[in-house]
Amino acid sequence: MYPYFSVFKDESKLDINYVPSRLPHRELQLNLLNQFFRFAIESPGKMTQRVLISGKIGTGKTVLSQHFGLNITKEARERGINLHYVHVNCRECKGSLFMILQRTILTFYPHFPRRGYSAEELLQMLVQVLDELNAYLILVIDELEALIRSEGSDPLYNLTRIQEDRIKAPQRLSLICVLREPEYLEMLDPSTRSTLQRNIILLEQYSKPQLQAILNDRVSLAFRPGAVSAQILDLIAELASSEEGDARYAIELLWRAGKYADASASPEVLPENVRKAAVSVYPVVGKDMISSLDLHEKLFLLGIARRFKQTEAAYISMGEAEDAYVIVCEEHGEKRRGHTQLWKYLKDLSALGIIKTEPSRVGQRGKTTRISLLKVPASDLEQEVSKVLYLKRT
Amino acid sequence: MSIEDVFSSRGRVKILRILAEIGELNISEIARRTGLNYATTNQHLAVLENSGLVRHKKFGRIRIFCFNEESPRAEIIKRLIEVWTNK
Repeated sequence: MYPYFSVFKDESKLDINYVPSRLPHRELQLNLLNQFFRFAIESPGKMTQRVLISGKIGTGKTVLSQHFGLNITKEARERGINLHYVHVNCRECKGSLFMILQRTILTFYPHFPRRGYSAEELLQMLVQVLDELNAYLILVIDELEALIRSEGSDPLYNLTRIQEDRIKAPQRLSLICVLREPEYLEMLDPSTRSTLQRNIILLEQYSKPQLQAILNDRVSLAFRPGAVSAQILDLIAELASSEEGDARYAIELLWRAGKYADASASPEVLPENVRKAAVSVYPVVGKDMISSLDLHEKLFLLGIARRFKQTEAAYISMGEAEDAYVIVCEEHGEKRRGHTQLWKYLKDLSALGIIKTEPSRVGQRGKTTRISLLKVPASDLEQEVSKVLYLKRT
Repeated sequence: MSIEDVFSSRGRVKILRILAEIGELNISEIARRTGLNYATTNQHLAVLENSGLVRHKKFGRIRIFCFNEESPRAEIIKRLIEVWTNK
């Protein structure tokens, strides 16, 4: 599968979706999570729990909850408890409660009809499904920002209150909310906020030695012995800790450095490979962030990147971005989306921090949105988006 | 209900086959897969349910149909269909 001299033994261990069996420096938080959900094993149905996990990008929020999910469902199975763990990403669900619930129900009934009811009805149905199967559910709502941003505090309110009408029936639905920016909590109504804030697990940024421990684990899983020296680990950890201790960035850096080493037919990863990788990975726009975008969002972003490549200006207008997008659409044989839709995309992209938007200044005729790129060079952004688009097509 | 009545209809046999293949489905999806219309499917399902071969679960407005695991007849018919289609 790999060339004879590949430095990797199993690349998949560096994948963003891989859940390692050990989480260095998150033992305490994992323990806390286990304590919060002890009842699910010991007295299922007696109560439910709502927990909030918060922390900056790459601090292990998602992996912490997934790791916990694997453990607790295993333990429940051994005890004959029908406990399910469902992990839903709000950004992938476009911040819609309906889609979140639909995905959840589809894990129980893969042929459940997909249309024809409201989110509120669907929530009731979820409870009926759990009753029917005598199942308990820990629902993880990842990237909660997206849900709050698009639907406000109602969905969470409904989710946390659904059990209250059922005083005598078993309590089946527990929640884990994963949130990057705690400021979003301010947008919730006071009662929902207080229920969520009661159990909060705050993940601090990883320090350099902590990142080294994480990388060390991954290196032994993914690389051939001797392919990555301590010095290289040190260098990557240093780079990642200067990026606010982002472990995901560190792992992506490690993977790319390995790729560059393979490309240069080197039997081990060299500092030069890491430096090259560091230039090509931008913590603000990771592969996963771009691949989570819609096709047309990607095309739009590609248009914007190309426009910035051609111009010396620090800002481009919405009109210019649209023109560039139309050309990209033609190139990919896609029908263009209308202005309003593009404007929504622009807001999403700016919420994700890939680009920055602001209203045009006074002194210019008319009103338009000015777009600027923050940290990423246009050519690199173009390359990243094209790569993802290309992967989709093949 | 006599065995002739259950198997005398092509539609009913189709429905049984699809339920044996997929497991659990709602009416619209059964209708789509069998090529019958909604009303006919509904009637056939009512007959099958009366004969105890099929049962349904109700979630809000959605009814999901499946073989009635408690009926030994249903078990055997399901097995027959599986053997027949795997031949």
